[in-house]
Amino acid sequence: MFERALNAFWILLGAAAAAYAWTLGLIGASGPESGLFPFLAGLIIMGAGVVLLLRPLSENIAPDFPRGDALWRVLGVIAGLAFMAISIPFLGFAVAGFITMVILLRTVEKSSWWFSLALALVAIVVVDWLFGHILGMALPRGPWGW
Amino acid sequence: MESVGGLLTGFGVILTLDNLFFCFLGSLIGTLVGVLPGVGPLAALALLLPITFTMTPVGGMVMLASIFYGAMYGGSTTSILLNIPGEAASVVTCLDGHQMAKQGRAGAALGIAAIGSFVAGTLGVIVMTFFAPTIATVAIRFGPPENFALMVLGIVCTLFMITGSPVKGALMVALGFLTAAVGIDVVNGRERFTFGSIDLSAGIELLAVVIGLFGVTEVLSNVERVVKSTLVAERIRGLWPTLADWRASWRPMLRGSGLGFVLGLVPGGGPVTASFMSYALEKRLSAHPDGFGKGAIEGVAGPESANNAAVAGSIIPVLSLGIPSNAVTALLLGALVIHGVQPGPLFIAQRPDLFWGIVASMYVGNVLLLLLNLPLVGLWVQFLRIPYRVLFPVVLLLSIVGVYSANKNVFDLWVMLAFGVAGYVLLKLKYDLAPFVIAFVLAPLLEQSLRQSLAMSPDGAMIFVQRPGTALMLVSSALLVALMVRRKPKGKPKGKAKGKPKGKPKGKPKGGSR
Repeated sequence: MFERALNAFWILLGAAAAAYAWTLGLIGASGPESGLFPFLAGLIIMGAGVVLLLRPLSENIAPDFPRGDALWRVLGVIAGLAFMAISIPFLGFAVAGFITMVILLRTVEKSSWWFSLALALVAIVVVDWLFGHILGMALPRGPWGW
Repeated sequence: MESVGGLLTGFGVILTLDNLFFCFLGSLIGTLVGVLPGVGPLAALALLLPITFTMTPVGGMVMLASIFYGAMYGGSTTSILLNIPGEAASVVTCLDGHQMAKQGRAGAALGIAAIGSFVAGTLGVIVMTFFAPTIATVAIRFGPPENFALMVLGIVCTLFMITGSPVKGALMVALGFLTAAVGIDVVNGRERFTFGSIDLSAGIELLAVVIGLFGVTEVLSNVERVVKSTLVAERIRGLWPTLADWRASWRPMLRGSGLGFVLGLVPGGGPVTASFMSYALEKRLSAHPDGFGKGAIEGVAGPESANNAAVAGSIIPVLSLGIPSNAVTALLLGALVIHGVQPGPLFIAQRPDLFWGIVASMYVGNVLLLLLNLPLVGLWVQFLRIPYRVLFPVVLLLSIVGVYSANKNVFDLWVMLAFGVAGYVLLKLKYDLAPFVIAFVLAPLLEQSLRQSLAMSPDGAMIFVQRPGTALMLVSSALLVALMVRRKPKGKPKGKAKGKPKGKPKGKPKGGSR
């Protein structure tokens, strides 16, 4: 069922992309226009979606999506990354990274408080020092300047 | 003679303190990446690519290339000692390597894997030294139509070689094209698929896509499972193979080197395919095929040689034609472009220092890796004790640093997360992610060639059949498509499917180094 829904999505995506690309123009007076390449890509997506949708049901894959604890661990990582992306502009890399790591270690891996805090601190200090100072890469800073 | 002169130039470039250090550092990181299950060479390359922005192009590319072939060396250690593939190209090494370790022959397995890797890696680079300039000399006559046809042929070959459904592969290629089209059209400055967003007008960042698809996806796939592993050998003894081991291994090593090199050249081939094909070949040629899966040293020597030779083979098309044959070389191509270098037929003539520097570094890197992997194997064994629960938050942290540092834009973090989740779901549905990355990297060049070809042609698309080289490549592509349509859906490679060996690998192969 999931795969059939995805195949239907591919058809819609391909059709929408091809229709949008059409509005950009395909071939003009001076040759190919901006829409030609994405138009062809949209057609291939749509065509592949149709082929996949028309396959016999027996050929569809029942994906082994995680359940129970495994599902929570996967969702925990996604939530951690989302929290990091939201909080980085306000908290900076060091604080946002520290909080995210502690949350991940505590919730996803059920590590102890001491282990989580220590590992998060060491990892953040090492990464910030290595990338931010030694390699001179600009990491986002919080309102307190680090 | 031209190649020998070029190689000497390359050694002049590489034998400086800075470049030797980058080669050593890359070999070290590559081995570590290979040893640590859960961190693949592609994710590692993507994570470390931003570091190279502060280096010279030679230093940066030497380091990235050595991570790629270094990972092939390190991957065998984990396969042999833990029965978990350190990286995807070492999956088959689990079958016999781990059985050897259980029989108390871990040292011999590790030794033959390292020596086979060295022999194949060095033979591959020797052939590359003379072969790559020849290909570039032929390709230098190519115009936009030939370039377009060559890229189409490369992509079709990739689809032909993938283990999953070619229809899904074609869909991933088209998605890669579509994703690459987002942003401002460089020809006329027109916005495409940006929907008024300033973030999208700059296009989708390569690093965010690759780290999302191969870094985050890998973490999500790994945290889902709890794999308990047992280190078979605490102390490694007897690394130098016995006379009987040599007698059994030298032919598989040479066959693996040849097979791996050829499969590396073919788009869609590469280290993973090479190792599986080599295992299947050795089993077929063996006088005692029943011994495979029970600790046959040929089952280690062949595949480990093949995956290293495939690395040298797969670097040739990207440097001499500008066409990546797998996802890792697609990222290397992207890295070169970021450094302001356009690989292709003119690359050797325009940047001999960079081309020959990379080639020479591979000779040096193979020697360094042999030294790192034989005498220091005990050190790498210690790294196997690091639990994944410690590794994955650090990988995620590095992913964020890598993606953010490219453009200093938080939007890229969301792109990374979106591609990570999408990649995870698509892998569950048996979509191959490598064609997406190859198409994403090739799309700007492919579109440019298509537009230039049509613009220069008074007869429109007929230009593709009027030129013999172009017509030949497009007909070959059409034939491959016809073969794909006719054949039944491909299963897993024979070497893995057959034989039902005793100790199946516990971990999943990691994507990214096909």
